[in-house]
Amino acid sequence: MSLRDTIRARLAGRTGPAYWRSLEELAGEVGFAGWIEEEFPGLAQAFGQALGRRHVLRMIGASLSLAGLAGCSPAAPDVEMAVPVEEPGMEPGSIRHYATATTLGGIATGVLVTHADARPIKIEGNPDHPASLGATSVFDQAALLQLYDPDRAATVTRGGAIATPGEAFGALRARLDALAAAQGAGLHILSGAFSSPTLAAQRAALIAAYPRARWHGHEPASRANVWRGAALAFGREAEPLPALDRAEIILAVDSDLLSAAPGHLSYVRAFAARRAPTAGMNRLYVWEATPSLTGAAADHRFAVPPRDTFRLLQKLAALIAGGSAGEAPGWLLPLAQDLAAHRGAALLHVGPEQPPETHTLAHLINQALAAPIRLIAPVLAPQSSDLADLCRDIAAGGVDTLIMLGGDPVYSAAGDLGFAELLARVPHRFHLAPYRNATAEASEWVIPEAHELESWSDARAFDGSVTIQQPQLRPLHGGSSAHQLLAVLLGSVDADPRAPVLAEWQRRAHAAGQASGFETFWQDALRKGLVADSAQPSLDLSPKIAIAALAAPPVADGLALLFRTDAALWDGRFANNGWLQELPHPLTTLTWDNAALIAPADAAQRDLATGDVVRLAIGRHAIEAPVWIQPGQAAGSITLPLGYGQVRGGRIATGVGFDAYRLRSHDAPWQQGGATLDRLGRTVAFAATQHQPTMQGRDLLRTVSLADLADAASGWDPERPEPSLYPGAEADRPAWGMAIDLSRCVGCGACMVACQAENNVPVVGKEEVQRGRAMHWLRIDRYYQGGEAAPRTLFQPVLCMHCENAPCEVVCPVDATVHDREGLNVMVYNRCIGTRFCSNNCPYKVRRFNFFDYAGAEARPAAARNPDVTVRSRGVMEKCTYCLQRIKTAEIAAERDGKALADGDVVTACQAACAARAITFGDIRDPHSAVARAKANPLDYAVLGELGTRPRTSYAARLSNPNPAIGEES
Amino acid sequence: MSDRLIAPGESFASVTDRVTGIVFDPPHRLGWWLLMLLALALVGLGTLAIGWLFVAGIGIWGINIPVAWGFAISNYVWWIGMASGGTMISSLFHVMRADWRSSVNRLAETMTLFAAACAGIFPILHLGRPYYFYWLFPYPNVMGLWPQFRSPLLWDFFAILTYVLCSMLFWYVGLIPDLATMRDRAPSRAGQIVYGLLALGWRGSALQWLRYQSAYRVLAGLMGPLVISVHSIVGLDFAGGLTPGWHSTQYPPFFVFGAVLSGFGIVLMLAIPLRRAYRLEALITPRHLDILARLTLLSSLAVGYAYAMDLFTAFYGDSRYDHDLALDRLIGHYAPLFWITILCNLLLPQALWWRRVRQDTRLLLVIGASVVLGMWCERILIVLQSLAHEYEPSRWGLFHPTFWDWATLLGTIGLFLAGLLLLLRLLPALSLFELRDLLARRGAAHG
Amino acid sequence: MAQIFGPGMDLAARSVLIALGLGAAAAIAFACAMPASDYRTAQHETIAQPVPFSHQHHVAGLGLDCRYCHGAVERAANAGMPATETCMTCHSQIWTHAEMLAPVRASLAEHRPLRWKKVNRLPDYVYFDHSIHIAKGVGCASCHGAVARMPLIRKEASLSMGWCLDCHRDPAPNLRPRAALFDTEWRRGDDTPSPADLMRAYHVRTAGLTDCSTCHR
Repeated sequence: MSLRDTIRARLAGRTGPAYWRSLEELAGEVGFAGWIEEEFPGLAQAFGQALGRRHVLRMIGASLSLAGLAGCSPAAPDVEMAVPVEEPGMEPGSIRHYATATTLGGIATGVLVTHADARPIKIEGNPDHPASLGATSVFDQAALLQLYDPDRAATVTRGGAIATPGEAFGALRARLDALAAAQGAGLHILSGAFSSPTLAAQRAALIAAYPRARWHGHEPASRANVWRGAALAFGREAEPLPALDRAEIILAVDSDLLSAAPGHLSYVRAFAARRAPTAGMNRLYVWEATPSLTGAAADHRFAVPPRDTFRLLQKLAALIAGGSAGEAPGWLLPLAQDLAAHRGAALLHVGPEQPPETHTLAHLINQALAAPIRLIAPVLAPQSSDLADLCRDIAAGGVDTLIMLGGDPVYSAAGDLGFAELLARVPHRFHLAPYRNATAEASEWVIPEAHELESWSDARAFDGSVTIQQPQLRPLHGGSSAHQLLAVLLGSVDADPRAPVLAEWQRRAHAAGQASGFETFWQDALRKGLVADSAQPSLDLSPKIAIAALAAPPVADGLALLFRTDAALWDGRFANNGWLQELPHPLTTLTWDNAALIAPADAAQRDLATGDVVRLAIGRHAIEAPVWIQPGQAAGSITLPLGYGQVRGGRIATGVGFDAYRLRSHDAPWQQGGATLDRLGRTVAFAATQHQPTMQGRDLLRTVSLADLADAASGWDPERPEPSLYPGAEADRPAWGMAIDLSRCVGCGACMVACQAENNVPVVGKEEVQRGRAMHWLRIDRYYQGGEAAPRTLFQPVLCMHCENAPCEVVCPVDATVHDREGLNVMVYNRCIGTRFCSNNCPYKVRRFNFFDYAGAEARPAAARNPDVTVRSRGVMEKCTYCLQRIKTAEIAAERDGKALADGDVVTACQAACAARAITFGDIRDPHSAVARAKANPLDYAVLGELGTRPRTSYAARLSNPNPAIGEES
Repeated sequence: MSDRLIAPGESFASVTDRVTGIVFDPPHRLGWWLLMLLALALVGLGTLAIGWLFVAGIGIWGINIPVAWGFAISNYVWWIGMASGGTMISSLFHVMRADWRSSVNRLAETMTLFAAACAGIFPILHLGRPYYFYWLFPYPNVMGLWPQFRSPLLWDFFAILTYVLCSMLFWYVGLIPDLATMRDRAPSRAGQIVYGLLALGWRGSALQWLRYQSAYRVLAGLMGPLVISVHSIVGLDFAGGLTPGWHSTQYPPFFVFGAVLSGFGIVLMLAIPLRRAYRLEALITPRHLDILARLTLLSSLAVGYAYAMDLFTAFYGDSRYDHDLALDRLIGHYAPLFWITILCNLLLPQALWWRRVRQDTRLLLVIGASVVLGMWCERILIVLQSLAHEYEPSRWGLFHPTFWDWATLLGTIGLFLAGLLLLLRLLPALSLFELRDLLARRGAAHG
Repeated sequence: MAQIFGPGMDLAARSVLIALGLGAAAAIAFACAMPASDYRTAQHETIAQPVPFSHQHHVAGLGLDCRYCHGAVERAANAGMPATETCMTCHSQIWTHAEMLAPVRASLAEHRPLRWKKVNRLPDYVYFDHSIHIAKGVGCASCHGAVARMPLIRKEASLSMGWCLDCHRDPAPNLRPRAALFDTEWRRGDDTPSPADLMRAYHVRTAGLTDCSTCHR
């Protein structure tokens, strides 16, 4: 069957060559690895290393979590492991958290990694970290799956043949010695963007030792435009940090403020906090060419074609200055007045895709508005030269040895650089490879890169705060970190992964004259996951240029192609991550694919339908891509999400979507004009999770504008408890309930991935999603309101409502879904025989069914699963449990220690992940609990309450704050 | 004279010869074998489908979320419907002493037997974990658990079980005297022994007849209510749900109407070729067909009334969900199914108002077949279309049948056909003793 | 023509019918009784272990407390198996060369875990927590039996769901004073507080104890 094939192909853990090679490496450990292999496949690599305590303990954990595989696999092993050596505090069943950080484009988000039996099973945000504040992004959540990905590069190879790390490092030294005479001329290093002080120091040391060596930086999603814009305005590069907590009027121009900007979690937190009438509700205007989450959250969103942005901004500046704008859209004047009227509390934010001039202009306007914006020096280590320079050097024949630290430059280089061809000309190519990706294929030496959760390092957050990253376990695939590799280059003999980081911070302590207190500082930094007051100081900069003097950037004429990072795969680094591949894109609900987003008008004019494959060409470069008709897309522009269409780099990554990098130009990375579009007559079938764009006039997602707040809420019929013959919740037990504030939710999807990670929700693959069998317990419905050209986008997270009169319960013939004393609608997998009547009878359609043995087909080591959640077998129904395992853990702990359960003791996975704090959970019976207070909100309502289901999950209507002078939601 | 239930000139002997002849000296051996081969091929396909189902899981079907029920449930409802139609003919009309029943009841009962068997397969197949179906029984177990008695599915399970068992019993008891006849007529010793064993030592003594009649009447009296119950329960499977398009109090009677209609349809469909092939025109007379046709017309009107009420309540009621659903039923993606249903179940049968149509066997055959098809469309429509458009538009989704969906359906059709053909060659296709009894009472018999 | 069946046939037919009825009844009875049988539950069974460890000797004989080896029992869901070094605390001094203990020494030497066979094994979808049972006054013996009298450990309870429910419906009889929790030989005496008192003392609430969610997640 095609579909089973796909599941197998995409997900199944077939023991590919790479797999066994890693075992062959184990000198003297083969037999040992052998039986672990049979015990828990996938973990085998973990034991490739010399044994340490954590391995053995992890092994216990693995047996426990295997015991979770109900029916998915032949009976769990009847074996209880007894460790040789007990470690203090490392007892089975213990749950611990260790602080570290994940990075994206070199910028850190602080996280806490949850360990069950000393192995990472979940990632939570670090409340003390400025970029997290306890929340996580989809990428942070999915990092866990990445860590356990069996497809990661696992062996050192030379020209495809297996070698040992020793040989690889030996070869490196050899090259270095050869080039030493010429002061390192011919030695080139290519890295992604990084903020690591240690790496910066290592780089400095290397350049000092080999003055003529060159270091190039390559980051597909670079923020260079932002810094150049600041340089143009203030004479030095800077990163603006908007203080949204103080902003009343926000104008986001092609801005990723709420979805992708560094620190966006903290921005969402601050923004959402002011989406309530009581909090002095803010107003968000968005101009953008392609719909974004920021646009969806806006009170006024205007689809502005890229070519008009700068001109429009000039007019705005003029209006704010009190001048006239000439002919301009009707809404521009009220907008300008609104901004001007809130001097000191109004700000502009511009996305990195806009040319530097736009940023400069925005800076100048912000200055004029005395906007609550802090300027700091860019936190990323400056890169003096980039990939283009490298290409030039190669072309000039000046590159003898190229060391590529991580990433996949061959794939992610702009098409017009022809990097792949040039690379072949480099005599000695080393790649520190996360995957066996295109770059690894093109390299002579491939050294597996350790995942950042496996390695010692350090990284700065968006505001400069430093986190020292500590490894959560030994490298599963025996990889090395960039620090280790550089240490080797710098002549260190042992490649101790911690040494470089430790040394750097000791050096700093000495420099600061605090050598004595270092040990406490170090322990403290590791425990908190944050180096105390390491945030970047604000820069006090004044404009060096007048608005008038500002030259307009070159505009892209004709059909414009917009290149954007992908909501799920970012720049492609997450392409082999099943959770992210299957995460519906917030606006399109598309999974397992990217699509060329085209405006409805353009599609109509070219008579294109969603799924039609077109040929997009610029100059001699062309790609073929299926189109997706995207409401709200600016006419005359087509958006191409990056990160897809990889041909190497893992079973999941390859052959999904199209590769937009081929059309990308190094000089104009974000937008190009003059593209041609030809229809090819082929169509592809997308796997979207939602097919009905509108609410059909049904009262599911309520919206209210601040103006008519008073009468709106009062107009709603209060939820009157229907008389029921069934017993209610027990008086002396908590009554669990949830409140979701739609005004706060920005639809990012972090809750979906968090839920997937916490509850062992399987990935099912494209074909199954197409058949309507996606398994997410928590989904985010996306509804459009208004016309296709400029619709209003609404998000509604939907999970099991835990109805007090649950329709699913009465129809189950075997009592597999029942109510418990705390009002939870419990799903008993092991009792379910799979009639699916409960799903038919669920008006919210939140139940998911295991049509196949999805969990069994996943290429995921049992050890990576949450041991506290049963892994569901084929033929059983499943659904959201309100994180029952967390409830029980808290309750048992409380009972055991004779304490009462306090509000906030139970935090569901979705709630923990949510940056907007849109989700509140707790005991609704306790009037003082956060959730009870949230439900007291006059805007609180029950979806489909008229059915008498009395859901425990209720929603607060989405509040908007439109400018009366412009009118409701343009 | 078309109102004769038996052609003139028929005698005990001639009737008996005619019917037993089909078994002991069958005509059209080749045709029978060809049909049998076709049937067996379908059975093979079905077996394959079911085997793969157990290996791979019910994901091989087109079902999904929201449409979690598909062919399996519809086919089940369809088959069980035809079955009860058959029972209706034999039991109800026996109790009502309707003479005309005699020459079609055996056919109806045999059909019922296999239709019910086909129906019985699906409720178990459609389970995600079919090997645990026995959890539906209230039996003492180490888990200390009972089934959930509020669920219509549970009662459905009980109802169909009772129904299948009883109709087997009813059918067998009805056979006993004829089995004795077969025993006495069997040319071979082996035949005599087999039929003899099955005849349970029937000698036709007055006492035996007395006991027999009362026993048979009791059974017949039992079957009637069972038909109603089994189909009301099936109706409740849907009516018990919250789903728009299902949540309707008229479903139980509505389903009974449908069942009876399809029952008459299939009996027409079988009786006409049979009397033709085995020259039973004298026994299954135009009068029989005429009555069957009238009954078809009647139940067609009943079903039509149900359809009308369904739409009326949807549009008259104030539930926007029912309203939208009804509208979608008329013009939406699944509308063709709806209009086929209307055509086959309501419009075509109206032709039966005309005596000429009722006497034209070919037309009757067409109408019978169309009704059977129409009922299938109705069942599948009710299941698919309602589930596809529930409360939350974001979860609307369609059902696309897979090869395996069709294979399973064809498999059961094959099983049905094979069973009929087999019994046709092993047992008297018509109830001999009742025909003789009829002759006797009509005083039409002369030596 | 000759009769096909002799007069004996009646009796034969009747007895066959009766036999069928009885057979069916017997089959059902068997099917219902089978899952509860020791054969299925492995109750009272001992399993060959890598080391023939005698609880009788160590507990009754040497007076070791359960927690000396199963240290996590009061704090964690899993009671925990002793690390090899725990065995070696004594066995590095005594029986240092006993053939019987070779696997233990090997485990520590080769740093490879001892793999004990699970005796009391719950189904995969059951989440049992030792610590809460101890905290609520349920002693080891209630489930594990008189371990102190077991030369080789064996499964003492059926561990069937019904068996669990018996206690979850009415825990009182299985509660014992704190002091007696780890004494597998303890018997209720005259001075023992009444079950009702113990229920109060341990704050055991029966409401919700039989909810599915108590054990299944």
